[in-house]
Amino acid sequence: MLIPRRLKHRKQHHPSRSGAAKGGTQIAFGEYGIQALEPAYVTNRQIESARIAMTRHIKRGGKVWINIYPDRPLTKKPAETRMGSGKGSPEWWIANVKPGRIVFELAGVDEELAREAMRRAMHKLPMKCRFVVREGGVN
Amino acid sequence: MSDVKLSAVLRTDFGKGAARRTRREGRVPAVLYGHGSDPLHVSLPTHETYLALVRHKNALFEIDVEGDVKLAIVRDVQVEPVRREIEHIDLLLVKKGEKVVVEVPVTIVGEPAPATMHVIEQLSVQVEAEATNLPDSIEVDITGLTAGTVVYGKDLVLTEGAALVTEGDTDIVIISEVRGPVESADSAEEPAEA
Repeated sequence: MLIPRRLKHRKQHHPSRSGAAKGGTQIAFGEYGIQALEPAYVTNRQIESARIAMTRHIKRGGKVWINIYPDRPLTKKPAETRMGSGKGSPEWWIANVKPGRIVFELAGVDEELAREAMRRAMHKLPMKCRFVVREGGVN
Repeated sequence: MSDVKLSAVLRTDFGKGAARRTRREGRVPAVLYGHGSDPLHVSLPTHETYLALVRHKNALFEIDVEGDVKLAIVRDVQVEPVRREIEHIDLLLVKKGEKVVVEVPVTIVGEPAPATMHVIEQLSVQVEAEATNLPDSIEVDITGLTAGTVVYGKDLVLTEGAALVTEGDTDIVIISEVRGPVESADSAEEPAEA
């Protein structure tokens, strides 16, 4: 699973969920992609699960790119504890995804297979997504 | 010669409020510049412009700016990523016979040899060509190519009068062997330390 090797601060504030993606909104490496349509915190487990769903459906061939990285820790206080006594302990690693962001890319397979593989991957992600194809013109 | 003819209206109001009003009226804000002239702020009909850009990325526009006809190519397009609406267009003024450098997308034709797959390393290449004869895409025929074959920039077949600006030894398409399903052995990664 994706996890940062080292970090500057163990506990961070929650990242902002407003606004749209400023970059990474066009397919940069592959031929097909999954584009986020809603803001979401995507955990490293969800990224891994989506990747596995995709690669298992493709079976042979194909190349997958993961365009997001879960570099933000989220904390959680234990259940049935009183408020106060400081911030909880890190529980998840998340990528802050904003609408428009290309999350995964795929190449080396035909469109029908890519569409189905990515549909399965989308079910593992916490936000609405759509399948996009690289085009020559406006995309 | 020209692919698209559009009538432009000069813009007098600027800023996001004016730009949004322009878009609500079914026109897209644009700017025309080049040849050392002052930039012209115009608006173009959204639907016609969108159709032209979908059909040809490197379309040559014949723009009628209130009676003054100018030739231009698209330098940059700002697209809203979720709704995919065109928000703004940068147009570069050109002259007949003038050579310009543009990004041309690479498209793949054919299927490589069995048990191989192709990966496009360069999604687009830079090409210098006459403004009136810009290629929409460069086709790379990979029919029957075997694993380990690399299509370089110098191998691309360009239209007459066009020259490749991207270096000739740049990898464009790589044909590689298809590997079986590889399950990632999730090694117990050490937790991050502060």
